[in-house]
Amino acid sequence: MEILQQLWKIICQLIESSGFAKLSWENYIMVAVSFCLMYLAIKKQFEPLLLLPIAFGMCLVNLFPEIMGMPTTQMLTEAEILAKGVNPASYTTTILNGETYYNYTEYGGLFYYLYMGVKLGIYPPLIFLGIGCMTDFGPLIANPKSFILGAAAQIGIFLTFIIATAIGYVAPDMGFTASQAGSIAIIGGADGPTAIFVTTKLAPELLGPIAVAAYSYMALVPIIQPPIMRALTTKKERSVVMGQLRPVSKLERILFPIIVVVVVALLLPDAAPLVGMLMLGNLFKESGVVDRINKTAQNELMNIITIFLGVTVGATATGKVFLTWQTLGIVALGLFAFCLATASGVIFGKIMYKATGGKINPLIGSAGVSAVPMAARISQKVGQEENPGNFLLMHAMGPNVAGVIGSAVAAGVLLSVLK
Amino acid sequence: MDNMTQAWILLLAGFIVVFTVLILLIIIVTLYSKIVTSVQKAGEKKKERKKVVKIEVIEPTPTKTVPEPEENDDEIPGEIIAVIAAAVDAVYGEKTHKIKAVKKSRSSRSAWARAGVLENTKPF
Repeated sequence: MEILQQLWKIICQLIESSGFAKLSWENYIMVAVSFCLMYLAIKKQFEPLLLLPIAFGMCLVNLFPEIMGMPTTQMLTEAEILAKGVNPASYTTTILNGETYYNYTEYGGLFYYLYMGVKLGIYPPLIFLGIGCMTDFGPLIANPKSFILGAAAQIGIFLTFIIATAIGYVAPDMGFTASQAGSIAIIGGADGPTAIFVTTKLAPELLGPIAVAAYSYMALVPIIQPPIMRALTTKKERSVVMGQLRPVSKLERILFPIIVVVVVALLLPDAAPLVGMLMLGNLFKESGVVDRINKTAQNELMNIITIFLGVTVGATATGKVFLTWQTLGIVALGLFAFCLATASGVIFGKIMYKATGGKINPLIGSAGVSAVPMAARISQKVGQEENPGNFLLMHAMGPNVAGVIGSAVAAGVLLSVLK
Repeated sequence: MDNMTQAWILLLAGFIVVFTVLILLIIIVTLYSKIVTSVQKAGEKKKERKKVVKIEVIEPTPTKTVPEPEENDDEIPGEIIAVIAAAVDAVYGEKTHKIKAVKKSRSSRSAWARAGVLENTKPF
C-alpha cells in the first residue's frame, strides 16, 4: 500500500512539474505562432536561415520557459541545504545575525547564457563581420552617387519615429516611449542585425516583436516592394538602361573600408561597432592576404552566430511579452517604416533620374533599404518586366550596400540621441 | 520640451547627419578614386616605356629562361614545360624569377594532396 502511495506521489509530482500544469494559454498560442513561422521558413523558404532558428527558439521557450531562466542565489540554512542532497562545503557562506547561511546558486537556462551575446551587443557586429566578407562594394565605388539613395531610404526610419511618438498622443494606452519609438523605427532600415543592436540598447523589452517583424518584412521584400515601385514610376522611367560601370582597381577596394571606418567612427562613434566590423570583414576579403580568416568569418563563424542569434531572439518572444496590443502596433509601424523607406528611395531615384537627364533608373532607389541582396534583385526583376534586356542588378547593388552603411549611421544617430 | 518637439528635432537631426555623412563619403570616394586612377595610369605609362626599352635590348640576345624542348624531349614534353613556365610566371609575376630546370617530382603525395597540406599548415 505504501509503495502505491509513493508511486502516486511521484506521478502527482511529475504532473505538477509538467508543461501542462505550468503553461498558460498565451504560451500555447505562441507555440502555434512558432509552427506557422516554421511552415513559412520550411515550405515557403522565407528567410529560412534565420526564421527557422527564431521559430524554434520561440517554440522551445514557450514549452519550457526555464530555458531562458536567470541564475538565482538563495540563502539557505544548513538543514535546508542538506535537504537538497548537496554538500554544504561546496558553497560560500554568509553570517547574518549570528546564523550561518549557505549561498545556494542555481544556474540559468541554456538560452539565458547564449542570449548574453545579444544583450551585450556581441552577435550583431559579428554578423556584420561576415556580411562584410561577402559584400562587394565595387558598384558603390564605381558610382559613389549611390550613397544618396542609401541615405534617402533611411528617411522611413525617422518618419516612423515621428508616427510612433505621435501614437502616444492619440491613444495613450498604446503609446511608446522615445526609446521604444526609435527601436521600432529602425525596422525601416530593413537590416536585422542593426534592428537587434539598436533594440538591445534602447528597448530590450521589445526585442522579440521587433526582431520577428524586421526579419519577416525582409523576407517579404518581393511582395512589399514591387507594387510601391510600380506605383511611383512611369513605364518610361522603369525602362531606362543604365551605362556600364567602370572597373574598380584593387587598391580602391582596399582603401574603401579603411576610409569609411575612419569617417564614420570619427563622426558617429555609436555606429562604429557595426560599421567597423562590416569594414573589417570587407578588408579581409579585398586584401586577399587572409583567405582563411575570410572564409571562416563568412562561413563557420557567421553560421554559428546565426544559430545563436536566431534561437535566442526567438526565445525572447514569450506569450506574455508577445501577445499585447504593443506587438500589433510594432508590426503595423514596422510595415509602415519599410514601405516609407522603399518609397523615399524610389522618389530620390526619380530626382536623380531628372537631375542626370534620364541616365539613372529610379528603380535602383528601392534597393537603398539594405536587405542585401534581395532588394537589389527586386530592382532587377521589376526593371526586366519592362525591358527584358535591362540588367540593373549591379547598379542596384550600389544603393543596396550604401543602405547597409546608411542604416548603421541612422542607428548611430538614434543611439547617440536616445540612449 | 515635450516628446513631439523632441521627435521633430530628432527627425531633422537624423536627416542632416545621415545625409552629411554619406555625402562626405561620396566626396571622399570620388576624390580618392580619381587620385588612385591617375597614379595607376601614370605607373602603367612608366611600365610601358620600360617595356619598350627592354624589348629593344632583349631582342638581339634572347634570354633562355626555359630549357629548350629538345633537351627534355625524352623526359618532359615541351608543352608541359610551357604550361609550368606560364603557371610560375602567373604566381610569381614578371622579372622576379628565372626557371633553370624542370624536373619530375619524386614526392609520394599527389599535387592536390600537397596543395591541401600547404593550405592547412600555412601559418597565420
